[in-house]
Amino acid sequence: MTLARRSLLKSSLATAAAATWWLKAPALAEAKGSPGLIRRTERPLNYESVRSTFTTRITPIDRFYLRNHFDIPDVDIAKWRLKIYGLVDKPLSLSLADLERMPQVTVEAVLQCAGNGRGLFSPPVPGVQWRFGAMGNAEWTGVRFKDVLALAAPKQDAAFIQLQGAERPTMSTTPAFIRAIPMAKALHPDTLLALKMNGKPLAHNRGRPLRVVPAGWVGDDWVRSLVDVEVRSDEPTAFYYNPGYRFPVNPGPPGAAIPADQMKPMTKVNVKSLLGSLSDGDRLRPGAHDLVGVAFSGEAGIDRVDLTFDGGKTWTAAKLDGPATPYGFRVFRYRWNPGPGSYQIACRATDTTGASQPDVGVWNPGGYLNNAIDRVRVEVQA
Amino acid sequence: MIRVLFLAGALFAIAAWAAETASPSNEATTALVDGQLPDDPARALVQAKCLLCHSVEYVTQQRLTEGQWQKTVEKMRKFGSPATDEEAKAMVAYLARYWTPDLPPLRPVLAKAPEGSVPRK
Repeated sequence: MTLARRSLLKSSLATAAAATWWLKAPALAEAKGSPGLIRRTERPLNYESVRSTFTTRITPIDRFYLRNHFDIPDVDIAKWRLKIYGLVDKPLSLSLADLERMPQVTVEAVLQCAGNGRGLFSPPVPGVQWRFGAMGNAEWTGVRFKDVLALAAPKQDAAFIQLQGAERPTMSTTPAFIRAIPMAKALHPDTLLALKMNGKPLAHNRGRPLRVVPAGWVGDDWVRSLVDVEVRSDEPTAFYYNPGYRFPVNPGPPGAAIPADQMKPMTKVNVKSLLGSLSDGDRLRPGAHDLVGVAFSGEAGIDRVDLTFDGGKTWTAAKLDGPATPYGFRVFRYRWNPGPGSYQIACRATDTTGASQPDVGVWNPGGYLNNAIDRVRVEVQA
Repeated sequence: MIRVLFLAGALFAIAAWAAETASPSNEATTALVDGQLPDDPARALVQAKCLLCHSVEYVTQQRLTEGQWQKTVEKMRKFGSPATDEEAKAMVAYLARYWTPDLPPLRPVLAKAPEGSVPRK
């Protein structure tokens, strides 16, 4: 064997090894992943989007994350009814046809799991180890919740709306998924009972036939396959409302326990941004690269997104696609012209209230609302 | 000179010992990161008491301290996991031995949207 052939063999072996390594390297596999989702758990269905999903305003349904506590319910549409009872003058039982006959409106809003980014907290927190992709932006179409409530005529002391979907736990001893939102949020004109997602009827795994869309709020209140609406004067004591899905009034140091009476329900989504067009470990050629990502904030538009390539010494404003929407993704773009070298790219969004993202997410016992500044490391090689 | 040789010998011995002990533990780490449940008398317990409601990745993606595992197992028993006190103790010991905070994350599995996630037509 000649030296040239030997070195060729060596280098092809090295390439094969690198390819194997690439297939096994999580960050790169995520970046190049055409299947679109990362399976976190098969039962119940918990899948998150790959990073490359986040370069468009609207998230396609087949790349949109799935989050479940229990098995997906089998809803028989002919028998399905939405029941509204409790502190109302006229208890209701509505069919899908009843709801379809009411005025329909569309609201664009981000749905984000409360635990998106949980897997990035240190020390670790138990639960589904979501990284970046338990979020997505869709156009939701349906009836205004306030229009449905008006038909039921809530009584004077109505203050909370308790929500429960058709899904049930495997064991009867496991608490059911019950949530509640304040009356004021239910009556907001942008809070919907959605029948459609991106113009299509809700799929089986996405809350068919109807889910709550409290635009701007965290995913725990977006109850799927809604069946029970109880109008109440007080807050429920159900596990998934209390102590479940709570955030510290005053967060402590990482790892610290917080007394139960110092925890409150989450409401609006906090400001966040994510670079979609590049992933950790990507290798690029020198020259122009269009960086693209998304930014959002619960009940405020995105005012600016800044990028840094030097560890935060200098920040440069990205261009924003317009117009700003109150609850949706705003796409940001930046033409980057790097020379050879190692770079850490970070993006930081600021919303119209002036709220921005922290360097490190606020650690909390549930691992919720992690909106730390997103960072990816890339190599630029000639 | 003797001292230098002694030092070199000691370093070589340490390196050899490290190489020997590191490789099985790397293999074990790889198996854990790939989501395997190591063989152990408690493995059957985890399969019987946890996998009633969860697929195994729910367990193998956690990276917890013994105290956190203890709390998690207690919570699941309240939720209906049919484990006795002894079984729970054995499960906590097993879980806390392998799925520790310093273990690298579970290797992600790429997938298409499962059946029922996209509207028909």
